[in-house]
Amino acid sequence: MPGERKPMRYGHSEGHTDVCFDDAGKYIVTCGSDGDVRIWESLDDDDPKSINVGEKVYSLALKNGKLVTAASNNTVQIHTFPEGDPDGILTRFTTNATHITYNRSGSRVAAGSSDFMVKVVEMYDSSQQKTLRGHTAPILSVTFDPKDEFLASASCDGSVAVWKIEEQTQVTSWPLLQKSNDVINAKSLCRLAWQPKAAKLLAIPVETTVQLYQRDSWAQVGTLSDDLGTQAINVVAWSPCGKFLAAGSIGGLLTVWDVESKLCVERQTHEKGYTVCGLAWHPLGGQIAYTDTEGCLGVLDGLSSSSSSSSTTASSTTTKVSLWSYMEASPSHPNGLDKFVDDDDSAIVPPAAAAAPLWPVYDGPMPTPPQKAFQPGSTPAHLMHRFMMWNSVGIVRGYNDDQDNAIDVEFHDTAVHHAMHLTNSLGHTVADLSQEAVLLACPGTDELASKLQCLHFSSWDTNKEWMVDLPKGEDVQALCLGQGWAAAATSALILRLFSIGGVQRELFSLPGPVVCIAGHGEQLLVVYHRGTGFDGEQALGVQLLQFGQKRRQVIHGEPLPLSRKSHLSWLGFTAEGTPCFIDSEGVVRLLNRSLGNMWTPVCNTRDNCKGKSDHYWMVGVHENPQQLRCIPCKGSRYPPTLPRPAVAVLPFKLPLCQTTTEKGQMEEQYWRSVLLHNHYGFLSSSGYEIDEEGQSQAQKEQQELLMKMFALSCKLEREFRSVELAELMTQNVVTLAIRYASRSRRMALAQRLSDLALEKANQLQGEEPQEEEEEEPLQYTRRNTGSHRQAQEEVVDEEQGQEEHMDEGDVAESKRQGKSRESLSHLLKEGRVNPFKVSSGLGRSGSAGGQNRVTNVLDSMMLSSKKPTALLSSSGSTGKLNKTPFLKPLAPRPKTKTQSTLLHMNTPKAANKKAVEEPAVCRLKQTEAPPPASPAENVENKKHKSGFQLWLEDNRRIILADNPDLEETDVIKEAIGRFRTLSADDRLTWTERAKGQSGDVADMKKRKRGEEENRGDKNGQSEADETRQSEADETSAKKKKPFDTSAKLSAFAFNKN
Amino acid sequence: MDPSEVEFLAEKELVKIIPNFSLDKIYLIGGDLGPFNPGLPVDVPVWLALNLKQRQKCRIVPPEWMDVEKLEEIRELERKEDTFTPVPSPYYMELTKLLLNHASDNIPKADEIRTLVKDIWDTRIAKLRLSADSFISQQEAHAKLDNLTLMEINTTRSFLLDTLNCMYKLRSNLQPGSKYISDVV
Repeated sequence: MPGERKPMRYGHSEGHTDVCFDDAGKYIVTCGSDGDVRIWESLDDDDPKSINVGEKVYSLALKNGKLVTAASNNTVQIHTFPEGDPDGILTRFTTNATHITYNRSGSRVAAGSSDFMVKVVEMYDSSQQKTLRGHTAPILSVTFDPKDEFLASASCDGSVAVWKIEEQTQVTSWPLLQKSNDVINAKSLCRLAWQPKAAKLLAIPVETTVQLYQRDSWAQVGTLSDDLGTQAINVVAWSPCGKFLAAGSIGGLLTVWDVESKLCVERQTHEKGYTVCGLAWHPLGGQIAYTDTEGCLGVLDGLSSSSSSSSTTASSTTTKVSLWSYMEASPSHPNGLDKFVDDDDSAIVPPAAAAAPLWPVYDGPMPTPPQKAFQPGSTPAHLMHRFMMWNSVGIVRGYNDDQDNAIDVEFHDTAVHHAMHLTNSLGHTVADLSQEAVLLACPGTDELASKLQCLHFSSWDTNKEWMVDLPKGEDVQALCLGQGWAAAATSALILRLFSIGGVQRELFSLPGPVVCIAGHGEQLLVVYHRGTGFDGEQALGVQLLQFGQKRRQVIHGEPLPLSRKSHLSWLGFTAEGTPCFIDSEGVVRLLNRSLGNMWTPVCNTRDNCKGKSDHYWMVGVHENPQQLRCIPCKGSRYPPTLPRPAVAVLPFKLPLCQTTTEKGQMEEQYWRSVLLHNHYGFLSSSGYEIDEEGQSQAQKEQQELLMKMFALSCKLEREFRSVELAELMTQNVVTLAIRYASRSRRMALAQRLSDLALEKANQLQGEEPQEEEEEEPLQYTRRNTGSHRQAQEEVVDEEQGQEEHMDEGDVAESKRQGKSRESLSHLLKEGRVNPFKVSSGLGRSGSAGGQNRVTNVLDSMMLSSKKPTALLSSSGSTGKLNKTPFLKPLAPRPKTKTQSTLLHMNTPKAANKKAVEEPAVCRLKQTEAPPPASPAENVENKKHKSGFQLWLEDNRRIILADNPDLEETDVIKEAIGRFRTLSADDRLTWTERAKGQSGDVADMKKRKRGEEENRGDKNGQSEADETRQSEADETSAKKKKPFDTSAKLSAFAFNKN
Repeated sequence: MDPSEVEFLAEKELVKIIPNFSLDKIYLIGGDLGPFNPGLPVDVPVWLALNLKQRQKCRIVPPEWMDVEKLEEIRELERKEDTFTPVPSPYYMELTKLLLNHASDNIPKADEIRTLVKDIWDTRIAKLRLSADSFISQQEAHAKLDNLTLMEINTTRSFLLDTLNCMYKLRSNLQPGSKYISDVV
């Protein structure tokens, strides 16, 4: 099986290094030229334990909890493991020892030195030494015979010698190596290795090959070589089972041979091609740790495969030799671990696996150890000097050394409070800090209960502190502060809420062990273990709760989306109150409230790191300005307290595709801006004051970006895309886009955009009455209205569907349609608002007087306002630009195919429907809050044409009778002509009727306006438009623009046809 | 030019501070400063940084080059080269003096830095003197000196110019014929 080469990581400063595993294989132990021995729990261990043993360490060996090191002070020292306490000096040389090694039992240590000597020292009594003299140059390496009889050594004099330990005599010697005068000049380190189990073979790296010599006969029995190996092999190591041999070369090539078949089963190259100078097999076999001369540590993982017995059979049958093929060849042996395991060593090997390889052993996904509870913004608790909390308010530092056990609280803004120094007699381990208080907690001991302490410095009374004991056996694991409250999650899976003054408030159970909690304002964010993760993943759940007026749960324990094989490393809120978290891969995710509370990745902090082991340690997130405040940490995940770390600011960057292109960039900017301004909506909905200026600024920025993207896609001849972009724009900007499109002579685009503009305008109007409704005291009707409206929508859709069929143009059909429409209008009315209304079956033709009741206002209004829409579309723009599905039922004659398709094409179905819903009240509102122009214009048109509309309805038949060949548009044209010929008084009467029908008796002003305009209406509808428009302009100058544009455009569209 | 004037110019250099107060952007003739967020580094001119520091309103973040290792490198390079090497900041001497005098508690290894900068300064001034000496002894008409800072020029200007004037006078007295030339010029 191809081993997985994990990325290397910085272990020591550059120079010679060595590596070994502890007996159980739990730790990787390395030493380096910086004089440190580091104890790694795994390759990902960010905080290896360091033991300084000298200025430089040349070699190390570890067995039975005794760590032996060869340091530059010419001694071989012993340290206890894993504590790292010095445990005496084993032996001394006249110069430094170059290589040391244990025998199999760990009772003796052999050390070779640059003073040409090899010493064998008993561990229990360092005075019992045996010296092996005979080499004539510095010793390169030494290795024990597993049966403790012989010892092999390699030296710079070019010889490899085998010694009989008891007699201290040389048994044999081979001149295999190139001569050199010192270890540093030697071509290879020539680390010898004796086969561990059988003790039959001695492996000697010679140039690019490994030569195998047989015990007792001392004859060469084989050579292991690899065609790819072009550089000298530095180190060799046997697998614990003695069947495989690993070698590391100067060029960074790692090779594993099956010794029996002498075939290479695994080949990996060092990622940078540095010289491998330390190599060690995991005692269980599945892993090789190696170090290079640049001080980096690497691990080759996944060497596990089937058991040894089957692998040998497999190797005889398989030609393509790899450990993977072994595995395939022996599916009955899924137990992976023990392939390289010494079968005799029953202390380590699970007996079931060793004895009965056929036993089905689980090798599926392995559960991940759940990550421990932590405080976001704190450094690990075992450090003597640590940050207990660093957030946007201040810094809490904890000191726990010989002199002092204290906590320092410092505020970024000294105006909040002066710095505090507390003695930490209770042993607090977790802390949080807010503008109001410092919250501390300590775990319980045998005698003392876990305590929660709060320094409520903003209190106005003299008592600034309170403390709470938790029930016995319950420990505080995480805590946080909000505005006026504090929360603590405990080991009993309970979340306890306190008021900031110390009143106990609600408590509730958590669905799983807490990971961390964060508070902001009235929001509480809880992350807990939802279950067991597998293969390095964590299974975390998140809850977002909101206190305050409306207590509710916003996120109900949904899974927290972490990156693959990562854990949570920071959780909190942005300064604006949006939940946010960062995982160990450095990906920052922000809650997107406008997208159903999904988490959106907004930045990868690791992208900004220079080195692989560099990280950013988050201290705060701000949405406005867009800042990720974090501390760059070189070669670690968190900063030290001294020297005082400096905060850096990272930008947000959504991981959108192709952000190198202009399009991608702008898209990224736009969506980032949209996402990071979501908080305005949230803040205003939860009743906070918001920065209106900032919001409008943001909107402006977004619209500008849209406009730029629009222009870009226009340039690229992507008109469809342009329209898609325009759909995101606000109504005002769409008019700009229309102008842009028409100037760049994209008429089709301009036309579609103007449709869009109208649609948007109608939508805008549609929204207003809804808001209005919400405020109605008759709340219980709302539900009704809602369902009615839905029904009505369906009906409209249906109707439109029917109209599609009408294209065939059947008169009878259209008449029937007209009837159904009639009934629809009743339905609409009833559906509309008024549950109290008796019935208005005669809605349209019914007398105006009968509808004077206020409750009827809305109903009649929408009816009248609906009709003019239809009229406008046919008369004003010849049915081209504006569209109306309602027009057709009015048409008594079949239409030509082209016309109807045109009408259909331009039909934004929702828009008209919404326009219908618009009640009269909102018209009044418009003067205060000028809406984008087109809606206003629409309303105006509808209003003043209603007189004509009524007249047309009455006279349509006459016109049609006179000119039976006329098409719909011509009918209306004709009608306009005739209407104009009427006297002013007549027209006024019609208008009056229209007004009366609308039932808006109370609104005298409006009526006046209607009259006025009708009187002034000399030149027909379009001029009236203008008049109305100019009136409207008095209230809002803005209205003019869009109208002009769309008028121009409609004129243009007409001309073109 | 007075050294204090050069120092005044140096005070316009930007330096990072970490304020412990909150203030919106301030609009000054020389440009906008801020906004100041507690705990967040912000670039301000040295004069403001020192003022805030004296009022204990901020911590100063030493410039990147104000670091023992980097200065040692510069010092070695300066000693090795015969010509002037580029300095980390055109106001390195002034900034060192100002920052170390007022904010030595914010600068790690302040004393070492002071010594190193003084060493660099001394080396450079020695070079300057040496080049002035060779300039005069070889009776050159012009010389080119790169990478000199304003303060360094300032220290030698008055002395060198006066000396040259003086020497010119002496020379023109020795060679009466040259009077004609000087008149023409």
